[in-house]
Amino acid sequence: MTRLYMDTWAASYGAAFQGGDGPSSPSTAKIETHHEVDTEAWHPIVAPEGVRPPDVVLLVDGVQRVDGTLSTEEDDGASFPGLAASYAAGVVRCDLARGAAELAGAQVARALFTASPSVGDVIAGQVRYAVHKVSGSGELSKLQGSVQGPLTALEVEISATARTDGDLLVVDGPLRGRRHLPRTIGYVKTQQSQYLPPALALVVTALRPWQRSPVFALGTAWGGWSWYMRLPGSSGAPWSGIVRVECSPDLSIEQAVELANLSLVTLPRFASTSYKDPRAPQNLIPIAGLERRLRGLLGDPRLLHRALTLATARLT
Amino acid sequence: MVHDEAVVDETGEAVGRVLGTADATPLQFWTAVAPGSYLQLDDVVVTKRELPGREPVTIAGVVTQVRARHEGAQFDSDVFAIADGTLPALVQEAAEITTTRIDPELYVPPSPGALVRRATGDLRAAALHFDRMEKRVPMGTGRDGLPAYLNADFLDGSRGAHVSISGISGVATKTSFATFLLYSVFRSGVLGGDAINAKALIFNVKGEDLLFLDHPNARLDDATTARYAELGLPATPFPDVRVYAPPRAKDSSGTPDVSSRLAGVDSFYWTLAEFCESRLLPYVFADADDERQQYTMVVHAVTAHLARHAQPADGGIGIDGTRLGSYPDLVDYVVARLTDEETRGTWAGSAVNTGTVNAFARRLIASKKDLARLIRGDLAARRPHAINTAESAQVTVVDLHNLPDRAQRFVVGVTLKAEFERKEKAGSAKPLLFVVLDELNKYAPREGSSPIKEVLLDIAERGRSLGVILIGAQQTASEVERRIVTNSAIRVVGRLDPAEASRPEYGFLPAAQRQRVLLAKPGTMFVSQPDIPVPLCVEFPFPAWATRPSEAGQAPSATLRSIVQSADPFAVVGGRSEDEIPF
Repeated sequence: MTRLYMDTWAASYGAAFQGGDGPSSPSTAKIETHHEVDTEAWHPIVAPEGVRPPDVVLLVDGVQRVDGTLSTEEDDGASFPGLAASYAAGVVRCDLARGAAELAGAQVARALFTASPSVGDVIAGQVRYAVHKVSGSGELSKLQGSVQGPLTALEVEISATARTDGDLLVVDGPLRGRRHLPRTIGYVKTQQSQYLPPALALVVTALRPWQRSPVFALGTAWGGWSWYMRLPGSSGAPWSGIVRVECSPDLSIEQAVELANLSLVTLPRFASTSYKDPRAPQNLIPIAGLERRLRGLLGDPRLLHRALTLATARLT
Repeated sequence: MVHDEAVVDETGEAVGRVLGTADATPLQFWTAVAPGSYLQLDDVVVTKRELPGREPVTIAGVVTQVRARHEGAQFDSDVFAIADGTLPALVQEAAEITTTRIDPELYVPPSPGALVRRATGDLRAAALHFDRMEKRVPMGTGRDGLPAYLNADFLDGSRGAHVSISGISGVATKTSFATFLLYSVFRSGVLGGDAINAKALIFNVKGEDLLFLDHPNARLDDATTARYAELGLPATPFPDVRVYAPPRAKDSSGTPDVSSRLAGVDSFYWTLAEFCESRLLPYVFADADDERQQYTMVVHAVTAHLARHAQPADGGIGIDGTRLGSYPDLVDYVVARLTDEETRGTWAGSAVNTGTVNAFARRLIASKKDLARLIRGDLAARRPHAINTAESAQVTVVDLHNLPDRAQRFVVGVTLKAEFERKEKAGSAKPLLFVVLDELNKYAPREGSSPIKEVLLDIAERGRSLGVILIGAQQTASEVERRIVTNSAIRVVGRLDPAEASRPEYGFLPAAQRQRVLLAKPGTMFVSQPDIPVPLCVEFPFPAWATRPSEAGQAPSATLRSIVQSADPFAVVGGRSEDEIPF
């Protein structure tokens, strides 16, 4: 009989995975699954004894918010949409040895994303929205995505400031342009692509908390070493509580396995509980705390919206 | 920026900024405490508010509440994640400031974000209004270790008088604070030349605690001496003390009934002649002035009869040809006259029925046991035995602790009446007389009326102009006559019972201090004075005088002098001025 599971993520966030019982869109990426163990011998792996979490774990995340949408009126009568957005990146330094988590750095930036060739910076009250020119036609739906670039740049910038020897940097989301950072893993909460063949996917869904899949290599442009693991506190559905972790392809398989084991003893203790976080357990506790702090740093949206309205009214 | 502002900015370290997430009002506001700084309850802080086109307003206040919380935590259990080092959170402390002074008086709120500084030196003195006090009495140190002062104008009767001290017995150190306050008044120099003639009358109701005021405290250490020096006081015992104690019961020689202090104690008593002449009979009864009682008529009739007919006779009195040599004799005699149908009319008036007479007789007979040792007919009349602060030392201690309830009331009532009448006759407020009386609720209860209560009410209401200052102490101010409490300019609270602390009598304490008085340590008092809108929390130093026999150091030489030796040996025995030869 088919069993049913309620997804632990609140509905407004979408599901932790898209589709019925696993990542929906099969990926065309080339994968190599034989590096850690033979493909035929794939099985859940627990961390070997003696692997201890690092004393210091750094977690980086960014938040963005649209403060207002604008439209320009060019001299020739044309109009371009604009997106006034605030975004912030921060890094939490979890000193597990000392038992203290603190905000090691945070930066807030605001920008006006538009394709308009003529518009200047918008000064709303005490804040300035620097113009960020977007190439192409600049439709509103595409502007939203263009915030991610500057935000990632901000995250890279901020994460470099807090590093110490022997720490582990956890980046929220795929590594993308951050592969050059040492001792860094990317933490992917939602599984949209089905990378593994169905036979090996069964190994993933059979994972228990504190277990991981063997390391495999992703052959995409942004690829690298990757592995799946299940966090404690999942509902029991096949793909609930499953996260994918990745690290730089420049590392050797031994280094990748070492990072994989390190992540296996480190990340589960950060897993959140469902009544406190609508995206539990994947949304890690430090990340959730960081996002709350960063949202606070973004400023009051009503205040900014009013300031923007006033500023644009004054311009016309 | 003007010059004096720069000076202000230099004094006092910045400890935080005015909060903007809670309302800031001119009278109360919250301050976020900066990382690495701290504020404790009672700290004095100051902030500034710039105003367009006017001089800036300085807002000073004291910390009345401090709180710390995790910012960034949503659930109570988040504290474990934070302590575990997984959830980033900020510990943020905030302090509630109750304004004590706004200068100039422009009641504007401080602006959120304004720097808040710890007030020191002149700023602290200004914040607590010490700079406006012309005469200030040190009353201990604040929580910040600096002296706190009492405005002497509200103590010496210039603008107010009387002190009311409340607190649980034993823990609240009410009498210790009262004696320290007296010491401070006498020794700090605020009374100027009047200090020499100012007197204090202390009733000792509990143990022999106050009998050693003139003995140095053997446990006094250098740290305490230094604390006295900080307050500008010498750490010495009271220099000039005279101790009175009641005569020992069933002792015909009238030696004072004390066990620990052997030298320098004089006994006090009243002769039968004085008892009759000064009309002291009403003070025998606890409710002699109560209008609901029928027998009070008899009390006053008998008192008048005794005053009219009693003649001094060889220590005792003679009345209608009968010589009475002791108080029990007098009681028996009066009761016999009243029960006799023939004499009742002359003693109590004609309209009195037997029931009323019996009510009187019953109470009078009951007093025999308690008062026999105090009202004497067997001791020499010329032997000094009266308590008179004008002729006594600077501090007069009257020991009551061995006396039963009724006798205590009699002594307090009669002594205070005599002192008050003497001051009334003198007609001037100077020199001052401080009266320290513990268990005020017993002498001036909220309900009912008695001659003693009338005397205390007189002192509370008219004493200020006559220079009689009442320092009253009680466990519960709610049980003391309201007019006495309301007439006290200075209110002091030590450790209180939780049920008592919530009564309206302590409305002068802000909510946070009402909670704090429940756990006030011995030696910590909350002092409310009219000048300062917030009661100050003070700690007064350990007494420099002995408070129990075990602490007493070397006795002062003056105590060896007996009062009998100071009596005039050539005074005419039983001399009465009207008996003198008229030429």
